[in-house]
Amino acid sequence: MAETVEAVETVETNEKIEEMNFVDKAKEFISTIPYNKIGMKDILNYEKEPRNNLVAFAIIVFLAMFVIGVVTYLIHGHHAYNVTREHPWGLLIAVYIFFVVSSTGLCIIGSLGDVFGFKDYEMISKRAIFGSIVTILAGFAVIAFEIGHPVTMVIYNVLSPGLTSAIWWMGTLYGIYLTFMIIEFIFLLKHDMKSAKIFGLIGLLVGLAAHSNLGSVFGFLNARPISNGVFYPTYFILTAFITGVFISFILMGWRYKLEFPDNAKKMLEGLAKIQGLLISILIFFVTWKMLTDIYGGMPNRAEVSIHILGSWTFWAEVILAMLIPLYIILKDMGKNINGMFWASLSGMVGIFFMRYNLVHDTQLKPLQMMKTREYQLTPEWIHYFPSATEIMISLGGLGLCLLLYYVGSKLFNLDADETH
Amino acid sequence: MARYGMALDYKNCINCKACEVACKEENGVLLGADKHRIWVGANDVKGEWPLLDIASAAFLPSQCQHCDNAPCQEVCPTHATYYDENNVVRVNSDKCILCSYCMNACPYDARYVDDRTMTVDKCTFCSDTRLARGETTTACQNTCPTKVRTFGDLDDYDSEISELLRTREHFSLKENLGTKPKLFYLT
Repeated sequence: MAETVEAVETVETNEKIEEMNFVDKAKEFISTIPYNKIGMKDILNYEKEPRNNLVAFAIIVFLAMFVIGVVTYLIHGHHAYNVTREHPWGLLIAVYIFFVVSSTGLCIIGSLGDVFGFKDYEMISKRAIFGSIVTILAGFAVIAFEIGHPVTMVIYNVLSPGLTSAIWWMGTLYGIYLTFMIIEFIFLLKHDMKSAKIFGLIGLLVGLAAHSNLGSVFGFLNARPISNGVFYPTYFILTAFITGVFISFILMGWRYKLEFPDNAKKMLEGLAKIQGLLISILIFFVTWKMLTDIYGGMPNRAEVSIHILGSWTFWAEVILAMLIPLYIILKDMGKNINGMFWASLSGMVGIFFMRYNLVHDTQLKPLQMMKTREYQLTPEWIHYFPSATEIMISLGGLGLCLLLYYVGSKLFNLDADETH
Repeated sequence: MARYGMALDYKNCINCKACEVACKEENGVLLGADKHRIWVGANDVKGEWPLLDIASAAFLPSQCQHCDNAPCQEVCPTHATYYDENNVVRVNSDKCILCSYCMNACPYDARYVDDRTMTVDKCTFCSDTRLARGETTTACQNTCPTKVRTFGDLDDYDSEISELLRTREHFSLKENLGTKPKLFYLT
């Protein structure tokens, strides 16, 4: 009997030691993450150049807008938004998609070097993965004020998961994705490339699954023939890659003030060529989507497509995100990197319109059901323009993203390690 | 238990809107939520006098179709939308996160946001009110002066609605979407 008690005690002690070891190991792991000790002073202390002043000013204004927008929302609820029963998804959904597309895109770019082993692209891995973390956090910050009950969401997402819902899969997979991105980033900081590769690969696969699920949120809408089908889930992955390349140019251009070292030049020229191919595929996709939508004049689809072709936001998307960058790439066969920096800024504005159009166009056509009196006249198109609160929260998301990136760039070494 | 549905002899509708009023009164629908939970569709008469198209003047009362294969239930991320024991499509407001996905997915425009709970609401076939009190009719049916509506159990062979659907030709709205609506329009 006594022996048994002793044995049990020994096992317990061993378990305790193991537990201690695990806690100690975790503590040691966290304490050895390389970062720069910075204070408020360091954050406020930046090079006083016009471009830096401009961005600092923009961040402060955007964050102030975020606070005003959120307070207005907390007081008035969804009434502060211009969303209606006929057009329940507005600007904030589009901005959420914009941020998570950026995140997935940066994850793809970050994976080129440290997951797929393309040496030329390793220099941007850490920066891109960090970018993917801050963009998705900004996306979550925006969507938190669009979802009516975010706390309920967290609880019932777990307690009663709707497994047939694309939104459930998208949200859950993005949560897992964020975790893997953070772990990958930590391993990159520690220069543990083997672990970074494993977590990066899993993170990438989860991210792609999450992102195509976001496309399927629209693709699954049988009630909306303009969005229904396989197009959006695949198109989302393509446009994520394109967005990732645009942001890479912006990040590197900002980092090196448009005076690139040779290795950055080599990488960006490679990315420009990839971008040329991707944008060409995108134009091909969009052209065929439009043609198949219009062909045969199917009700609720053809007319919506023709309406889209007549909207300026569609042409903003085409010109800013497709034609301008493609022209810059083709003109010098991808060698005009400075030009691509500016074209990427244009591209990101175009990508914003792309997201806005996707959300708005889905809801353009009223479902009608003969409620003609509701509209006074026979309804043709649902109108929507974002309210000031929606615009303020959206810009606030951008401010948050820029602030997090700036603090991160002070806190961590986002450049490639010299041992590369 | 039951599988509730409704048959509408829509050609008898005179667009008096008593059903809209009764529904609001019974279910406490807020003022302003007009034509959100239940409505009467009205087409303008086509043609030019004297060659008016009389048939085009029909009214089409409608509401949630309580689909057997409801897109709103399928897309709900938290199972806030569910089928109750009578196969009525319901919303549990405690679970609703107001993501509005159901409002976009419903092909019948039958969902709206209730400003009191800030969750999505819809026709419940009076499950919370009249049926809960043991009555067997819905408010819209009970009030209809021309007896357009017949509510009942589709699984009960002897119910009035089953009899009607056996003996009268009928159609459902947007059947091509495969939603299997339980609102039937008698022709």
